[in-house]
Amino acid sequence: MTCRWQELLSILPPWMRERVNYIGRETLQELRLRIGAPPELVLSGQSRWLDRLITIEDIQFCINAASRYSPWAADSQSLGYLTASGGHRIGLCGQMISKDGKVTGFRSLSSICIRIARDFPGISSGICGEGRSVLILGAPGWGKTTLLRDLARILSQKHSVSVVDSREELFPTGFQRGKRMDVLSACPKDTGIEMALRVMGPEIIAVDEITAGEDCAALRQAAGCGVKLLATAHAGSVEEFRRRPIYRPLWEAGIFDTCIVLLKDKSFREERMPV
Amino acid sequence: MSIKCLGVILVIGSCAGFGFSAAMAYEKQEKTLYQLLRVLDYMSCELQYKLLPLPELCRQASRECEGVVHRVLSALASELERQMEPDVQSCMQIVIEKIRMPSRRIRRLFLLFGRSLGKFDLAGQLRGLEEVRTACERELRPLTLQKQNAIRSYRTLGICAGIALAILLI
Repeated sequence: MTCRWQELLSILPPWMRERVNYIGRETLQELRLRIGAPPELVLSGQSRWLDRLITIEDIQFCINAASRYSPWAADSQSLGYLTASGGHRIGLCGQMISKDGKVTGFRSLSSICIRIARDFPGISSGICGEGRSVLILGAPGWGKTTLLRDLARILSQKHSVSVVDSREELFPTGFQRGKRMDVLSACPKDTGIEMALRVMGPEIIAVDEITAGEDCAALRQAAGCGVKLLATAHAGSVEEFRRRPIYRPLWEAGIFDTCIVLLKDKSFREERMPV
Repeated sequence: MSIKCLGVILVIGSCAGFGFSAAMAYEKQEKTLYQLLRVLDYMSCELQYKLLPLPELCRQASRECEGVVHRVLSALASELERQMEPDVQSCMQIVIEKIRMPSRRIRRLFLLFGRSLGKFDLAGQLRGLEEVRTACERELRPLTLQKQNAIRSYRTLGICAGIALAILLI
């Protein structure tokens, strides 16, 4: 298992680092900081709280450290998250600023949720992704990204894989990459897919979390070019995936051959996509 | 007699040295301000082109200059990389405590520089740098205008003070 643990500790306020290191080094999944409440450490499904209350300064420290004191380099804040060095994702919550119906940032933050990125090489070895387009389904926090990362890495031993890592979470610095893998990071998914197709000549394109119609259109276009796809989506089952309107174009086009459905206990089952 | 001559030479020499070092400090201030202006330009360009995070930006900018500005920027980059302070201003405060500044006005400018960094989006950050640039130019103008006179005065004063002191002591 790989985890950029020091990078995580470095974005926490100094008073919290030692305690989080002691309690959560092996099992920490999420760290939730809410102003006026003690920090919540989610460890393999159970929670533990530290004894000091979180202040606005603590939240600000985390945001500054995660963005490396560079708000201009972290424009994903308007999308409600930040990716810290090491691939740890920080979800933001608070009072937002909207202009012309579009969210442009946060006026004030009230809580953040830090999700710890961990890499488990070999967890997807039971999945046969050879010559197929694979869709990984699961609810948030069930391990879609972890599974995709490993599957892409394994397939890249034999095939040329282009990874479109829009949030820099799949292969942050320090995570082992595959032998024939090219990673396009910090790039919108639809643009990234198009660029990878045009310039990298991939056999497989891997993309995390399809969330918009543009992503679906780009995937359809890539599939039409003879490229196999690896992707993840938020859905608890194939039926849920089918019912979500945003995914209808993908379903109707029958792009994916195999579906991996993740379960809450991090196990998964493989299903053939109905034709 | 020879001891007296030696004393006179030493007195004049040390006073003149004091005057010359004051003149050099004046020149150093001007040089530092020019370097700071160049760094501000460099940072604005790099920010617009690459959106570099601040620690890298400071590290790169420090390679473009020397002297105090170089020392401040590389120390600031290291301080930012340590991630122990809540904001850039606090990091700059720590750096300024460690590094000897040529003058109070330069110190004030660095503090203003620290306050302007790391708070805003790109447009805001560029405006912040512009504000520091204006302050820098404001400080630089009188320095440049009076440069020749000031330097000559410091040197002459040093030598004259030395001669006067030597006469008094003889």
